[in-house]
Amino acid sequence: MRAQRYKSLSQLAGAMAGFAIAILLLESEALLVWAERLEIGPARAEALKAATFVHKKLEPIGAETVRQQSLAALDRLGWSDDPARLAAARNRIAAIHSPDMPFIPTMAKQSRSTPAPANSAPPRGAAVPILAALPANTPLAQLPALQGNQPRVVALVGDSMMAVGLSNVLLREAADNKNLRVIKAFRSGTGLARPDVFDWMEEYPAMLGSDKPDAIIVAIGANDGQGFVDNGKVLPFGSAEWIKVYQQRTAAFLDLLTQNGARVVWVGLPPMKSSQYDARIAEINRIAYSVVSQVPQATWWNPDFLVGDSSGKYREFESSSDGRTIRLRQPDSIHLSDEGAALLAPTLMNWLNARPLHIAELETPKTLRAAERAKTAKRSH
Amino acid sequence: MLFPTVEFGLFFLAVLVVAWSAYRVNWLHKLFLLAASYFFYGFWDWHYVPLLFAISLASAVIAQRIQASEGLRARKLWLVLGVMLCLATLAYYKYTVFAFTTALDLWSRLGRAPRIRIPSPLLPLGVSFFVFHAISLLMDAYRGKLKERVRIHDALLYVAFFPQLIAGPILRASSFLPQLRAHRNPAKIRINRALLLIAAGLFKKVVVSNLLATRLVEQVFAAPQAYARGDILLAVYGYAAQIYCDFSGYTDIAIGCAMLLGYRFPRNFNAPYTATSPQDFWRRWHISLSSWLRDYLYIPLGGSRGTALRTAANLMITMLLGGLWHGAAWTFVAWGALHGFYLVVHRAWTSIRWWPLALLRCTAMWRWASRLLVFHAVCLGWVFFRAPSFAIAFTILRRLAVPGLCTLATVPVSMALFAGLVGQFQPLRWRRALEFELNGWPAFACGAAFAAALFVIELLGPSGVAPFIYFRF
Repeated sequence: MRAQRYKSLSQLAGAMAGFAIAILLLESEALLVWAERLEIGPARAEALKAATFVHKKLEPIGAETVRQQSLAALDRLGWSDDPARLAAARNRIAAIHSPDMPFIPTMAKQSRSTPAPANSAPPRGAAVPILAALPANTPLAQLPALQGNQPRVVALVGDSMMAVGLSNVLLREAADNKNLRVIKAFRSGTGLARPDVFDWMEEYPAMLGSDKPDAIIVAIGANDGQGFVDNGKVLPFGSAEWIKVYQQRTAAFLDLLTQNGARVVWVGLPPMKSSQYDARIAEINRIAYSVVSQVPQATWWNPDFLVGDSSGKYREFESSSDGRTIRLRQPDSIHLSDEGAALLAPTLMNWLNARPLHIAELETPKTLRAAERAKTAKRSH
Repeated sequence: MLFPTVEFGLFFLAVLVVAWSAYRVNWLHKLFLLAASYFFYGFWDWHYVPLLFAISLASAVIAQRIQASEGLRARKLWLVLGVMLCLATLAYYKYTVFAFTTALDLWSRLGRAPRIRIPSPLLPLGVSFFVFHAISLLMDAYRGKLKERVRIHDALLYVAFFPQLIAGPILRASSFLPQLRAHRNPAKIRINRALLLIAAGLFKKVVVSNLLATRLVEQVFAAPQAYARGDILLAVYGYAAQIYCDFSGYTDIAIGCAMLLGYRFPRNFNAPYTATSPQDFWRRWHISLSSWLRDYLYIPLGGSRGTALRTAANLMITMLLGGLWHGAAWTFVAWGALHGFYLVVHRAWTSIRWWPLALLRCTAMWRWASRLLVFHAVCLGWVFFRAPSFAIAFTILRRLAVPGLCTLATVPVSMALFAGLVGQFQPLRWRRALEFELNGWPAFACGAAFAAALFVIELLGPSGVAPFIYFRF
């Protein structure tokens, strides 16, 4: 029995050894990606050191080749959920089939064959001063009325502040509206602070594809209350250098959004329940407002008067017009609930100025003929 | 800490090494597992570690009191005190907002509701599960199912044991505490079975569930107005597959991890969409919860011992409360009511003893028709379970009448749907044959094969892993 016990333990040890060696060979690159994506801090530094050591040792034997080739094959099949990777795969296929077409390189997200730059946003000119006070209620002037039969193309852009609540409500509003076409360009767990995790400068064009939105609603920044590494230097959240780089990234992203003449509403982040988190979000709002207010095509819009209390502070419940008590936030006290987001929707839909067609406009030849017959019948009477 | 993460992988490898290094000294082994479980829980959010400790300690002390009391009255008093304490904790964290908003809505219908500040505590992770563990400890002590006196450190580990802490399966004190008494026996570890369970669980969660969630279900349930019959049907079937793969995937990983540590967890899912009746479904879906509700709620209510009407009422109460356990919203209550209704109707139907019907029920065609009917009845329930409001749920049902194609049926979505639904019909012998085959391999090769399986899962999985659905409960 004792021998049997030791045999079982030695089998377990053998299985663990087999697992450890195989996983390091197959996943050394993925481990490095994981370490790079950790929150900035001592744990990340140690994990990165260990993962880099393993990766460097295994690189000469081509350990990462299997993973890279497998990922490339899956991308060609359209399996990936990463827009930039899919776009890169499509470009490669297109380049093979039509050699004259220029090859547009895009970074493979999970592969380190083309490593992501720490700050992919191009630096802009002199940083604008950070404005201390946010406007309480900026009016949103309606976009010009639609011309012709073309619907208004609106992109919903952002992190989970757009993905949870707000996008649901806006998509429902737009569902029956033939004058609106919505592009979903949001991804939870992303932001502008960590392009090494999700690079919006690269992913956004891939999300759009060939579409060119003429209106954009952005809600982003909830994950940006963290430090990041820029040019090998750790910048703690809120430091002067952090603000400078974050401001550059915000400005570069706004440039990207507006480059085809699109009009942008940048929805400010709502007040948060945790005072510590709320202070960080307020800082991010100030930076975003300072950058957005420099661009005539864009407006920074503060939703606090709708989802905050009378002084703009966090508020969780509200009485609806029919007397019901509605919860404005998700149970995490961060994201807007559908009911909370519904308070923002009328203003945003009004800004889009793409009302559904009126009944008269919707009349088909069939209904017109029926109306004509009714008129004729009335006259004959 | 989420199961399908590198963090958990590193944590579990370390736990496995240390736990088996200390297995000869049982108290040390258990103390280490207890510390590891608290680390696992606190890694996510340390704020609720004291709550977990307090609930575990209180239930352990009260269970001891129940065992030590001589008279039935005293035992009952201690039981009521313990259960009330557990339920009050659950009610405060999970149902405060629901209760206040419902009361205010009712009040506003009668007149002008008062303006009061509604407390909205953050929901501690896995609170529904650890509270149910604590209640099981109290009930088993009261019913005399625990042969030996409850030891505090064993009870603490029973409630907080990390593989089941966040989302079950819900263990019974009467089956788990004896395991803690005994020394671990490494000869009993079924390494290959555990590795197969973990790999299958990760595949279900990381590949199938995540893929269906992000590319199909979330889109359609966010704005069903934008979709027609084809996509709506696809999303409803997709959610049926998603929630099964999500939750059964989690429990497969939990069972596999516990098995590697030398503990046995009960089976929690048994191909639920192959069920031929609502009763059969609940014997296959979340088995540990349905048996918990049966033993600690349905039977104490009287079970099926009374009249047909009383049995129907007991079924409805059990399922309504079961629905409410899943979430503090009326949509969950509607889901529970729907399943209660199915059970009541099925009970009435099976009581019909007409012989041609009895003959028909024995045919294969009838069984398959029943499967199809039960599956669609379950899917109807999932619409209310998944929809954020009744308005969305009814929009989903209305849009079924609007003709339209399956625009979201991409190759990955179709493959995931097939794997999630049709995969349940795979014969059990396939898994056994695979385990048997692996048993002939050297241990080193089995470990390497497991790594290769994880590699494939990592490649096929999305770039970010969403939390498990059942974490919310």
